[in-house]
Amino acid sequence: MIGWSIAAGNFLVPAVAIPLGVIVVLACRKNVEAVIADERQRKISSQAALRTLEVAVIVGAIAAVVLLSFMVSDTLTPKITGSVFTDGNGTNAMVINLYKPGGPETPENLIRTVTIPDINAMDEAEAMTYCQFRREALLENERNGIAGAVIGTGIFALLITFGAFYLYYNRKY
Amino acid sequence: MKNRIRVLRAEREMTQEQLAELVGVTRNTIISIEKDKYCPSLKLGFRIARLFGVGIDDVFTYEEDKDGPSVDSDD
Repeated sequence: MIGWSIAAGNFLVPAVAIPLGVIVVLACRKNVEAVIADERQRKISSQAALRTLEVAVIVGAIAAVVLLSFMVSDTLTPKITGSVFTDGNGTNAMVINLYKPGGPETPENLIRTVTIPDINAMDEAEAMTYCQFRREALLENERNGIAGAVIGTGIFALLITFGAFYLYYNRKY
Repeated sequence: MKNRIRVLRAEREMTQEQLAELVGVTRNTIISIEKDKYCPSLKLGFRIARLFGVGIDDVFTYEEDKDGPSVDSDD
């Protein structure tokens, strides 16, 4: 809910929810102090946390290598830019430029240019070029989505792993 | 590590819940110690012994394995 509020530009919800959450947690902690202070519970928690950390380090290292390989391959992808022009008749024309990967968007790095005279009446080849441009333009959003999904899944996986280890050590001791 | 907590508790007609409350741990901890599944800290060991009014040697007995000193594995 806090993440959604920040994304929506509403900072009032987290400003209220976070202090409220801290107060609730502290109030609850007072009631369960006896259980938290128990040395066996503490040992189980620390063992579970340690094992979770070990798993997280190994899985994190593998994930980092995979994500790094994506970053390296990304610089080998050609850069696509596009600009729309409207003439006096209200017709929208579009110029799509394809540049060499890794370099600046200069005429020397230009691979080819495609001009769509009227984006409301494209032929098949123009439509395919336009689709490619759209895909490229939305790549940043796609990347943000992937990053969010990776972080969310990672946190969820850590919680599940910790829970599994906690149950295991709870049975063991 | 073997212990005589169950016997000492029975002699004093004390429940696991009562013992747990008196030494400041949960009942599950007392159950685990009695079953030799959990090895308590020195502090808790002394607290239990003092509560029963006996020495720590009368409550806990350290037994070495055949292969050598026993190790309390965390795995």
